[in-house]
Amino acid sequence: MWRHWDLIKNLTSREIKARYKQSFLGFFWIILNPFCQMLIMSFVFSKIMKVQNLGVPYPIFLYTGLLPWMFFGNSLGSSMGILVGNGSLLKKIYFPREILILSTLLAKTFDFFLASIIFLFLMIFFKVPFTGFMFLFIPIFLIQFLFIYGLSLFLSAINLFYRDVQYLFDLVLTLWFYLTPIIYSVEFFPEKYRFIFKFNPMSVFINAYRQVLLGRNWPSWSSLGIGLGVSLMVYLVAYKIFKKLEGTFADVV
Amino acid sequence: MSEITGNSVVSFNSVDKYFYLQHQKTLKELVDALFKRKRTLERIHALKNVSLTIKRGETVGVIGKNGAGKSTLLKLIAGVSSPTSGKVEVCGKVSPLIELGAGFHPELTGRENIFLNGAILGLKENYIKAKFNEIVEFSEIRKFIDIPVKYYSSGMYMRLAFSVAIFVDPEILLIDEILAVGDIAFQEKCMRKMEEFKINGVTIVFVSHSMANVEKFCSRIIYLKEGKVMWDGEVKEGIKRYMLES
Repeated sequence: MWRHWDLIKNLTSREIKARYKQSFLGFFWIILNPFCQMLIMSFVFSKIMKVQNLGVPYPIFLYTGLLPWMFFGNSLGSSMGILVGNGSLLKKIYFPREILILSTLLAKTFDFFLASIIFLFLMIFFKVPFTGFMFLFIPIFLIQFLFIYGLSLFLSAINLFYRDVQYLFDLVLTLWFYLTPIIYSVEFFPEKYRFIFKFNPMSVFINAYRQVLLGRNWPSWSSLGIGLGVSLMVYLVAYKIFKKLEGTFADVV
Repeated sequence: MSEITGNSVVSFNSVDKYFYLQHQKTLKELVDALFKRKRTLERIHALKNVSLTIKRGETVGVIGKNGAGKSTLLKLIAGVSSPTSGKVEVCGKVSPLIELGAGFHPELTGRENIFLNGAILGLKENYIKAKFNEIVEFSEIRKFIDIPVKYYSSGMYMRLAFSVAIFVDPEILLIDEILAVGDIAFQEKCMRKMEEFKINGVTIVFVSHSMANVEKFCSRIIYLKEGKVMWDGEVKEGIKRYMLES
């Protein structure tokens, strides 16, 4: 993989530059989009629905869940179309195909960190203290990245064979959003159903982010362990399938 | 039999390639077709028991009608597609001069695209930096190098793509009907570059419908018909057989 570092770098900057040039607000849009969503949802849920007792102000609680979720959704959304979109390349020249997926995810990682700047401002604004626990977000992010990478490999390959998997997955994504504690906290759920969050990696990650950033504490290692296990499994299975199908990509695209 | 030995760079050993023509491109169509008991997949036998070796420095012309398996042959050499059975061995850096500009992004400038396309072709960034001026010089579009390629004419687009591709320093060059690049002067320049490659001992596999080009350029002909090798050898004889049967 490292042999192809130049290619990964160039494809990643292609993604970033191209989008920057296409949209009117450029990089600013990447920050503005999640921020506006946060404002709207904060208004709805804290002022109208009156969600309370979270220990921290609702906007920052929400943003801690919304950012990793948007990273997840945007990454899958873009990587599903990437093989179809680069069809003419797939037919002509060989390089490990996962590079296309990886560089899409790296471009989305760039967005994620750019949008996180707002998060720092929110922390200052709501007077949430900065602590050393914050740095634990890095391992959590890496596990989340692995999970997304695995899913992207699988879905992008399937989408090449049946082009509407993309639309089907949009539906799944909407359902998944509501089954993940983004706009609410796990405690709002009846106790006997809470086990579902344990097996939803996205829920595990978001809870862990909140624990280290807002709770200023260690994450729940057992949940994170299950999250890592699931991510690793998804990645290994997806990679195997991806590599098995790779030799036929050029025939079907 | 045909293992990679000494000076052979490409070897096909009883290669068969099937691919499936998917009649339904979406799940929706698939479900529909399953209910109506329509065919979902059609198996196509693109290459039939192909065995051949290409030696270092050979210039091989591949001819045949559309659908004879010429492109499939190139795909297998390029390594983008894998054989259904049999063995394909390729030794050396393959660079395809096929449908140029596939890696270009319309929003990026010519300059940015040179680096992007170079990376796709497996070039190191430092190498592209060092060769940058030569690449631009060859393309003859220095004036437009800093504007997005979406504003390029198709001729300029091809010129740029071709210029990047020839700086790859290939060991095995795959050419698929690309000598229709730009105007006559540029085409001649491309041909000269090809001759240069030939002299320098680059192995060239050349797919073309133009018998004149093939005859001028190649030292060996592979004539494919419906996935089978009908002739592999002397140029004039290969062309004669192809012309007789079509």
